[in-house]
Amino acid sequence: MAEQQDDTSEQPLSLRTLCTMRSFLLHPSTSKRTVSSIVETLTRTPTHHTLKLLSDAAAHRPDLGPSAVVLPADSSPHLTVEVLASSLTDLHLDDARFASLCFGDSVAARVWMLRNAGSKFEVRPGLLLAVLLGFTKDPYPYVRAAALEGLAGFCERGGESKDVELVEACYRRAVQLLRDMDPCARLSAVRVVASWGLMLASSNSDMKTYWSNDVFAKLCSMARDMNMKVRVEAFDGLKKLEIVSEDLLLQSLSKRVSGHGKQKQALGQSTSEQFVILATSVAGAIVHGLEDEFFEVRKSVCKSLRTLTRLSAEFAREALDSLMDVLNDGSTVVRLQALETMHHMAISGRLKLHEKNLHMFFGALVDDNWDIRHTDRKILKVVKLNNLALFKSSIDRLLGNLDSYPQDEADVFCTFSHLGRNHKKFVSLIIKDTFEEIEAALEGNVEFNSARIAALLILSISAPLLNADVGRIPAVMFSYAVTFLGRIYNAFSDIMDRDSLLACLCEKSRSTEYSATNIDLVEGEQQFPLLECDAPNFASNEVINSKIDSHITREPKEVANYQIEQQRSEYDEVIKFTNYILAKPHDMWQRIQSGHANEVLRSLRCLKELTTMKFDSLGSGGADALAFTLLYLRVIELLSEVWEHLLPAKRLCTLGIGKLEFKLGKLERRVKELISRFTGFSAQDELNVLELMLLTYALRMCKDEIIGMNHTIKRLSTLYLRVESILKESSALPSNFIVELGKVLSGTSINGASCNLLQFDASLEFFSLKQFLFHGQIKHVKAELNISNNDLEHPLPFVSGLPVGVPCEIILHNISSESRLWLRMALDDGFIHHLFLDLDRFEGSEEVTKFTFVAPFYRTAEAICLTLKICIGLECLFENVSPVQRFGGPKRELALLCKEKQVFLYKVNKD
Amino acid sequence: MAIETLVLGAGQDIGKSCVVVTINGKRIMFDCGIDTRFFDSPTHRYPDFTLISPNRDFNSALSCIIITHFHLDHIGALAYFTEVCGYNGPIYMTYPTKALAPMMLEDNRKVMVDRLGEEELFSADQIAECMKKVIAVNLRQTIQVDEDLQIRAYYAGHVIGAAMFYAKVGDAEMVYTGDYNMTPDRHLGAAQIDRLRLDLLITESTYATTIRDSRYAREREFLKAVHKCVSSGGKVLIPTYALGRAQELCILLEDYWERMKLKVPIYFSAGLTIQANVYHKMLISWTSQKIKDRFSKHNAFDFKNVKKFERSMIDAPGPCVLFATPEKISSGFSLEVFKHWAVSENNLVSLPGYFVGETMGHKLTSNKQAKDDADTKIDIRCQVHQLAFSPHTDSKGIMDLVNFLSPKHVILVHGEKHKMATLKDKIHSELGIQCYDPANNETIYIPSTHYVNAETSDTFVRSCLKPNFTFQKCSSVDICNSTTIDKSLMPELQVEDERVAEGVLVVDKGKKAKVLHQDELLLMLGETKQDS
Repeated sequence: MAEQQDDTSEQPLSLRTLCTMRSFLLHPSTSKRTVSSIVETLTRTPTHHTLKLLSDAAAHRPDLGPSAVVLPADSSPHLTVEVLASSLTDLHLDDARFASLCFGDSVAARVWMLRNAGSKFEVRPGLLLAVLLGFTKDPYPYVRAAALEGLAGFCERGGESKDVELVEACYRRAVQLLRDMDPCARLSAVRVVASWGLMLASSNSDMKTYWSNDVFAKLCSMARDMNMKVRVEAFDGLKKLEIVSEDLLLQSLSKRVSGHGKQKQALGQSTSEQFVILATSVAGAIVHGLEDEFFEVRKSVCKSLRTLTRLSAEFAREALDSLMDVLNDGSTVVRLQALETMHHMAISGRLKLHEKNLHMFFGALVDDNWDIRHTDRKILKVVKLNNLALFKSSIDRLLGNLDSYPQDEADVFCTFSHLGRNHKKFVSLIIKDTFEEIEAALEGNVEFNSARIAALLILSISAPLLNADVGRIPAVMFSYAVTFLGRIYNAFSDIMDRDSLLACLCEKSRSTEYSATNIDLVEGEQQFPLLECDAPNFASNEVINSKIDSHITREPKEVANYQIEQQRSEYDEVIKFTNYILAKPHDMWQRIQSGHANEVLRSLRCLKELTTMKFDSLGSGGADALAFTLLYLRVIELLSEVWEHLLPAKRLCTLGIGKLEFKLGKLERRVKELISRFTGFSAQDELNVLELMLLTYALRMCKDEIIGMNHTIKRLSTLYLRVESILKESSALPSNFIVELGKVLSGTSINGASCNLLQFDASLEFFSLKQFLFHGQIKHVKAELNISNNDLEHPLPFVSGLPVGVPCEIILHNISSESRLWLRMALDDGFIHHLFLDLDRFEGSEEVTKFTFVAPFYRTAEAICLTLKICIGLECLFENVSPVQRFGGPKRELALLCKEKQVFLYKVNKD
Repeated sequence: MAIETLVLGAGQDIGKSCVVVTINGKRIMFDCGIDTRFFDSPTHRYPDFTLISPNRDFNSALSCIIITHFHLDHIGALAYFTEVCGYNGPIYMTYPTKALAPMMLEDNRKVMVDRLGEEELFSADQIAECMKKVIAVNLRQTIQVDEDLQIRAYYAGHVIGAAMFYAKVGDAEMVYTGDYNMTPDRHLGAAQIDRLRLDLLITESTYATTIRDSRYAREREFLKAVHKCVSSGGKVLIPTYALGRAQELCILLEDYWERMKLKVPIYFSAGLTIQANVYHKMLISWTSQKIKDRFSKHNAFDFKNVKKFERSMIDAPGPCVLFATPEKISSGFSLEVFKHWAVSENNLVSLPGYFVGETMGHKLTSNKQAKDDADTKIDIRCQVHQLAFSPHTDSKGIMDLVNFLSPKHVILVHGEKHKMATLKDKIHSELGIQCYDPANNETIYIPSTHYVNAETSDTFVRSCLKPNFTFQKCSSVDICNSTTIDKSLMPELQVEDERVAEGVLVVDKGKKAKVLHQDELLLMLGETKQDS
């Protein structure tokens, strides 16, 4: 409101009136009629203030719709744009208006229009491109950047221009702007060069290589830009290239400009001439990127190498050397990305390991980071090893891995099984030694390392297991394998389960065709070409599939979580237990409906206790399942409590309205928690949970809640839409309750005037509780927050007026990288400050991320001491109710992931 | 207007960097170094300051001195110049340089007085006195030295606290790079500067023709050699300079130790190195991005595996890695340890950098056959690994920086004569930038930018606010050069913004220059025609 008070100019509406209007507009419970009459008054007198108010109004009342805001033609472009910016949903701006706003003298307005043209409102492409291209010449760097952004955005939205001349002009202009003084213009120019360059390349098939090479060179020339973001963008751009000449690719790996191009006449004269022109800008770009100071850049290079190595085998071979060196990088993220890239290369057959690479490559197997070791093994699972020596050293290093990290056993075994399957011939070459070692160990002559023996067994039996042809493997090996069954079956979990493996092993061990004495190895068969060696041979699975009955449940793909595999039995038990408990409420529903709530509540509490006991007695194995069960039980408990009081007979007695309201609020929170704090729901699970939410809202409606009715209806309809879309995708049948609710909703208009509460009441009759079936996918999203060395005795010092850093140690569980996390810091006086936690900045996996984050807190008031309440919240799918958090805070409601922590601060004097 | 550059040192040479630049009447001295090769000859050792002011009135001759980093060939003559020659004006350097400079100057003074038995030119107290005149600056902080002179420091890599300096007087702008590194190492970042409109860039050219391989390859070789040695129970001796290199290698080893879970102890020999760690720990904001990022979790200079080495441990059994000074194994502790360890082929000596003169380091690197050293009577059997780490940028880095800044003129200093000439030609032919490589005591004059202030008419200002672009078709030059793509006949679409081009500069007699919109001019001309 401050901006209105400091103005003293003459105007038809007094400031006082405007203030009152503003309060009306912002108050959520102002009736729609009042709002629209205020808006009408305001639009009649377009001044600076009224426009400002209109933009506020549009921001706070999305239901107002843009139609209400009439844009006076003579208003200042800046404000008009602001009004537009806040009210846009599906606005139609005619081309003339767009042009006039762009050409107006407000630079901010121009920037906004350029940035949002085409995305937030439609403009004729011809006009749009002309305007955007024109403004790349603007003297203001931000306008240039916005125009370029607009061009890049046009491409991203799938826009295409048939006018080759125009495309080329845009591309050339962007190339010029790569040397702009301003980093933000350079950044956007890089994006345009990448996207429009590719458009240009694809517009003419004859010139495709020429233009692609040009784009490659231009992007490479930005590898030495002084701005980190520009560099990242340039390397990101390389990812999109589909074709680049080999000599240019190779040049990017060498800082010295070579004469490659001249020698390779075969590629055509045009290429070599172009090479000479472009070579200097390309020289060493990839190498520079890989040794960049910022891990963002290094990571981006590793990622683009994934596509670039696909373009040329020669380049892939050379790039591998550089990539191997990255395994010494200080940043885990970069090392991991390098390995991921190698994995991709291996899949596309571009990974050729050499002796000189081995030191680095196997070094990753001793890395103290699990992800690194895992990814390294992932490569070993698919890579084709060229000679026996490589194969042997792989086995040695894997066994070494097993020694130093026993916790990796499951994954190492799995790697052995793949290695065996992929290198059948090599296995048969070493089978004699292996057999002797296993034999000796199991005969008891030697003290043996059981993990090692198990690993060797897996290696030996993995190939013949898939084939009718047992090869030279002695049958007794299969019998030995049976004795290790419990330990080794996980290694084959991608192709068969435990029972099928047992059946298979038994059958193979019975075959007497080959015995130990039959091993006749051709010694000296060292360099065995891998021509006939089969890659992961899934085709042959069918043989087994036909033999073993329908026990095979899992897909032939990697089972993601090995830890869970390891704790299988314990985990199975938990799942059984969970499903047993989860089946109960379903059975109880009848009792609740018939008014025996007390009895049900009692047994629910018992169940809860049971679950809690189980929870405490168990390790981490089934924690997620139990956490879910506990919360679900709590929801059912609350539901039955509420339900009881809504039964017709009891409706008017027992609980006061306030109490019921309280219970409903609690129920709502718990159900929301159920939705937000767990991931990995199947479609059916999600439907069940969403149905509970719908029920909660419907209950609210019935409980004649006049005040927030509009709100509730709106939420109901939003949620309903979501349910509908899930139903459509999963092709499941909607429950009766959902069908009924749909009918009610379609007959209810938003303003609620015609809403019939009784209809909601009626729909409740159709609700019945679904049974939950837990099948292991559901994960508990949670966070741990700790502020060390801080309590009442040891407060953090602060200087009032200056920001204070709160060192938070944070552990996140099961948080996907897309989710938006916030740190909420609250003071006792109700002041709340939200801080966005950018997950990209922290290293870690999806399961667990652990990091320290120094949260700045700015509002250090004039007080001796302060108590700050900190906690971590996750933005969930429910829209925010209070408009206050619009300013920099989360857009949606926060689901709190941990308990609130108190942080104690005390003031120190500045001297 | 011209920019006048007087090269007092490091012209076609490495050593005693000192360049005096006069821009628009302001005189700045960049660096004030000594030549460490000429310890015995004071005349060669110091720059010839009399060329600045024949009557030795330096205070009025110079506006300020700017020191880029703490190496002796850049700062060594500072105390001499202030205390002996009597310069009293302001001296600018970054905070880390100011922190480390006294240590360096004092070391140097001791060497000259104690070892060479020279007469003392200035005392330790005078060094302290000199440091009092120093004004410390931060990166990217613009300092108004006086009304006209602005300077700003940019990160240069090279050593901790090294900076490039930008100076602006009036409309003339220039950058003096000092020593810099365009690729980051384990503890320092790469040089970082904005794109500026420079008239002059004075850059170092230590590696004017060398192009170095990837840093990774060098690191890999080093780690491999060390790992191989310690895993077979050998001892590794790394003779190194106390500041910078020791920290870089140590971070590299720490990181490797952590990842590979190695338990072999790493030792630092003397107190100086430990103290240098303390400095690095404090100056964390001057290190590379990675170290800064991880600082909240762990200070990278808090080496977990590093312990202090005692003399008694020299003959202790078991593998270890030891950092010891001095780097040349010419004397001191590193030589002492070397004598003990060189006799076993299990052990490894890892030499960072190159050596000149009759030192053990030189002998080891130049002639590996000479396994039996006659002077010291050591039977050298150990393995020798040479590290090619250098904190200077290579020629590609220089080209990249020049290309990024695209100044109007480049002056090369701090390099070898014939190599500088090659680079000079390359800059001229490839980038089309005028380039010079003056010898010591030579002066270069280059023209500088000078903007004329002009009034503007309201119409012109208004027209400047309104975008006014047109599309034109014209053939572009670079397409014409290509023989294969014959597009020269096809005009190319280009966009032009006419706003500024519509202005017309009018200079009336006796009045200030004024910019009018072209329409206005026509009107005015019409009026004058009517008048006459």
